[in-house]
Amino acid sequence: MSDPVRLIGVFAGEEECVAAIESLRRAGYPKPRVFFPIPSEKIFAALRLPKSPVRVWVLIGGITGALSGFALTIGTSMTWPHIAGGKPIISLTPYIIIAFELMILFGALAGIAGFLITGGLPRLESLTGYSGRFSDDRFGVLITCAPEQSTRVELLLKDAGAEEVQRETA
Amino acid sequence: MAAVASPDYHEIDRQVMRTLQWPGWRYWVWVGALFLIVVWGALCWANQIYRGLGVTGLRQPNMWAAYITNFVFWVGIAHSGTLISAILYLFRSRWRTAVYRLAETMTGFAVLTAGLFPLIHLGRVWFFYWLLPYPNQRWLQPDFRSPLVWDAFAVSTYLTVSLLFLFMGLIPDVATARDESTGIRRTIYNMVALGWQGSEQQWRHFSGVYLLLAGLATPLVISVHSVVSWDFAMAQLPGWHSTIFAPYFVAGAIFSGCAMVLTLLIPLRKLLELEELITPWHIDNLARIVLFTSLIVSYSYVVESFMTWYSHDPFEMVTFQQRYFGPYGYLFWIMVVCNCLIPLALFSPRVRRNLTLLWVISIFVNVGMWLERFVIIAGSLATNFMPSQWGFWTPSLTEVSITAASFAWFLMLFSLFTRFLPIVSMTELKEGLRWLRQALRQESAEAA
Repeated sequence: MSDPVRLIGVFAGEEECVAAIESLRRAGYPKPRVFFPIPSEKIFAALRLPKSPVRVWVLIGGITGALSGFALTIGTSMTWPHIAGGKPIISLTPYIIIAFELMILFGALAGIAGFLITGGLPRLESLTGYSGRFSDDRFGVLITCAPEQSTRVELLLKDAGAEEVQRETA
Repeated sequence: MAAVASPDYHEIDRQVMRTLQWPGWRYWVWVGALFLIVVWGALCWANQIYRGLGVTGLRQPNMWAAYITNFVFWVGIAHSGTLISAILYLFRSRWRTAVYRLAETMTGFAVLTAGLFPLIHLGRVWFFYWLLPYPNQRWLQPDFRSPLVWDAFAVSTYLTVSLLFLFMGLIPDVATARDESTGIRRTIYNMVALGWQGSEQQWRHFSGVYLLLAGLATPLVISVHSVVSWDFAMAQLPGWHSTIFAPYFVAGAIFSGCAMVLTLLIPLRKLLELEELITPWHIDNLARIVLFTSLIVSYSYVVESFMTWYSHDPFEMVTFQQRYFGPYGYLFWIMVVCNCLIPLALFSPRVRRNLTLLWVISIFVNVGMWLERFVIIAGSLATNFMPSQWGFWTPSLTEVSITAASFAWFLMLFSLFTRFLPIVSMTELKEGLRWLRQALRQESAEAA
C-alpha cells in the first residue's frame, strides 16, 4: 500500500477557507488541520469545535483561590485570636477582599496553565504543514488522504477557492 | 497620510514590523538619557537607605507625601490599560484594537513603577516582607483587616494578571514577527511566542482563555483602585475618611491613564510612522473617554465638598477650608484647572482632532492628577485634628530626584518595548480590518 498524501490548500480569505472545510466535511473526509492568522469563530463553527476546556481550568482555579483566601484569613485569625477595634475574630467582610483577589489570581494562573497544556505549548518543533504565510495573511487547510483520493481532494480545495494546493508525501 | 488608503493583512504586518527594525542613534541617546536619570534616582535611593529617611522631607505629621503620591499616581495610570484592553474587549469596542497594546504595555510598566514606591518609602527596605502577612518569623499578629495588607494582595495580583494578559495578547503577534525574522531574532521571538503556529486548536484555547482573562481583569481593575482608595478612606483622618473614595479614585485612575495613553500615543504614532494604523478616529475616541471621566472627577470634587459641608463636622470643614485656601491651596486650584476646566475643551471635535492641542491637554491632565493625589494625601495629613500638630511638607532633592527617576524608568521600559516587541496588535487590527478601513475612508473624506 502506498504512503498517504498530505495536501495543503492555501486560501486568501476566511470565507474560502470555511467553504473548503465545509466541502471536505460534506465529502466525508476527517477534520482537517487549519492554520489562520486571526481568531475566527466561523472556522471554529465550520470545524464543529466544542468550547475550549480552559473554562473549567479557570473555574477550578477561581474556586481554589477563593477558598484559599478564606482559609488563609480565617486560619490566621484562629491562630492569633486577638480582638482589634472591637471587631469579631473572624471578620468576613474584609476577608472577602483577600478571597476575591486570590480568586482572580488563581483563576488567571489556572487559565494560562490550561491554555498551555491543552494548546500543546510551548512547542519546539513546527506543526506539520505550517508556513510563515499563515501568520501573515493566508489561511491554510491541511488534509491527509490516500493517494487515490488526492485528486478529488485537490479539486475540492480548488473549487472552494484555494490559490494553490501543495502536495507532500506523509 | 501615506499612499495606502486601504491596508490589508500583509500591509498591517509590514507597517508594524517596520517598527521592529534596529533603531537609530537618536533612539539610543533618548534611552541613554533616561537611563542616566534612573541611575541618579537609584543613587539617591541608595543614599536614603544608607542615611535613613531623614534625607527626605518626611516629618511628622507628613509621613506620607511624594512617594505615596507617586504610588497612587502610577497605579492609577495603569488602570486605563486594563480598561482599554479588557473592559472594551468585553464590550467589543471597535476602536480599541489599534491602541490597546500600547495601553496594556503602559499598564504593566506603570504597575511595576508603582510597586517600587512602597519599597522606596520604607526606612529599612531589607525588611520589605514585613508588609506581607507571611513569612512571620517574628510571630506578630497578621491583620487581614488592614487595608495595607489588602493593598499588597491587590497590587501584586494586578501586576501578575496585567503582565499575563499582555503576554497572552503578544503570543500570535510575536509569532508573526518570528516568521518575518531570521537568525537570533527568529530564535528569540520563537521562544517568546512559545512556538505558536496558529492552528485551530491553539486559537480555540487562546480565544477561550483571552476572553476569560478579560472577564477576570475587569472586576480586578475596579477592585485594585478601590483597595488603594481604602488605604485612605479606612483611616479616621479628615479629608480621607470618605465613602465616595472608591468610585472617585477609579474614575480618576481611568482619567489619568487615558491621558497618559494620549501623551505616549500621539508622539509615538508619528515617530514610528503608524499614522495609517492609529487614525484620528482612534484618538478621538480616547479623548472622549478623557472628557467623560473628567466630568466624573469634577462631579466627585463637588460631591466631596458638599458632603463635608452637609456633615457639619468641624474637623472636616477645617481640612477642606485649608485644602482650598491653605498653604497648599494653589495646588488645589491648579488641579481644578487641569482636571476640570481644561478638559472641557474636548467637547469640541476640532480640539479632539488637533493632535498637538490634545497632547498639551493630556500633559495638563497628568499634572492635575498627580496634584490631586498629592492634595488628598499630603494636604489631609498636614492639617489633622490638632492644629498644634499641623505642618507642611517641603520636597527634598531626594524625593524630587526619585520622582523624576520614576518617570524616566517608566519611559525607558516603554521605549525599549516599542522597538523590540509589537506595540500595535497585528492580530486584532486584522480582525477589525473592516473598521480600520472605514476610519481611513472617513478621514480621507473629511480631508477632501
